[in-house]
Amino acid sequence: MTLMFNAVAVFLLLTLLVALVRIWRGPTSSDRMLASQLFGTTGVALLLVLAEAQVAPALRDVALVLALLSVLAIVGFVTRVIQIDRRAS
Amino acid sequence: MKTVATILGRVILLLLVWWAFTEGDVSGLGFGLVIAILVAAVSMRLYPRGAARIRPVQLWLFVLFFLGRSVVAGIDVARRVLSPSLPVDPGYFTVHLTLPEGSPRWLLANALSLMPGTLSVSLDGPRLELHCLDTQSSVEEDVRAAEQKVARVFGLPLPDETCHSEGAR
Amino acid sequence: MAFVQVVQGILLVTGCLFFAIGTLGLFRFSDTLLRIHALTKVDNLGLGFIILALVLNAASLAIGVKVLLIWVVALAASATSAHLIARAARLQQGDDSEPKGSHD
Repeated sequence: MTLMFNAVAVFLLLTLLVALVRIWRGPTSSDRMLASQLFGTTGVALLLVLAEAQVAPALRDVALVLALLSVLAIVGFVTRVIQIDRRAS
Repeated sequence: MKTVATILGRVILLLLVWWAFTEGDVSGLGFGLVIAILVAAVSMRLYPRGAARIRPVQLWLFVLFFLGRSVVAGIDVARRVLSPSLPVDPGYFTVHLTLPEGSPRWLLANALSLMPGTLSVSLDGPRLELHCLDTQSSVEEDVRAAEQKVARVFGLPLPDETCHSEGAR
Repeated sequence: MAFVQVVQGILLVTGCLFFAIGTLGLFRFSDTLLRIHALTKVDNLGLGFIILALVLNAASLAIGVKVLLIWVVALAASATSAHLIARAARLQQGDDSEPKGSHD
């Protein structure tokens, strides 16, 4: 089972990497902020699987904090965009 | 007396969360009790009891409904992504919610983002703007169905029936 | 025992499949909002399947509950993020409320 979990972790890491390449290409900053949401789901899944595979319970706490912080990053971004919008209009 | 019962209920709930997050470690329960009491006290200031009471049975029914719909949503989007012609017909759609201000509206807006074909874009008073994957589909009906479920969770009178039948088509 | 492992294997593979489709969706959809659709719905389904497999594998009840709670947090986080980014994308696109057509 550990082998299976490790394989899943590697696979998730690969999808994360491919998705990051797409996000890096943009074109708008909203597109790039999707990276944060990506880490909020794929990153959490990856960490939870790793916690099981490597018998590292602390990684579950990392997953929890990552899920919470991904929203805060986006809140920070969105308030900036809205302010830019106000200044423009 | 009812306030005491509410606080006690919240402390027990928070202790359960603490117990799960410490992975059943008994040595941390003392800390957990102190924190749970403090958080319960703060929560009484932020979310006083009264107004909208959550119905546990209806909450579970909503969770089941939501899980079913979100599985459908995932498969629906996956199907669209995988089919060579990429069958999407995106567009904006605005609905007027009958749910009251606050948690009920937010629960609906957030749940709709994970349900088939809809993504909540902006919530301005009762106006909820959605982005739809497929403007041909019966978006309005889906929204009304979800709205009724949310209303039941908070034990609110159901949204107007005329609104429901007037809906899509 | 073996049966549980087979179920787990199926759940894990299904989860991975959905994550892969979510990533594919990022490439295939030309519009920011459509990409958010793909990322939110498909990836959350993938996360759901993987979480189910992990719950079956949990060493204790507390760990199982913890993983489920993390799932609830991740769902709420994802829905909130999707809503916020969609609103920002709408603002950046400007107020051209043309009902149809994907912007390239």
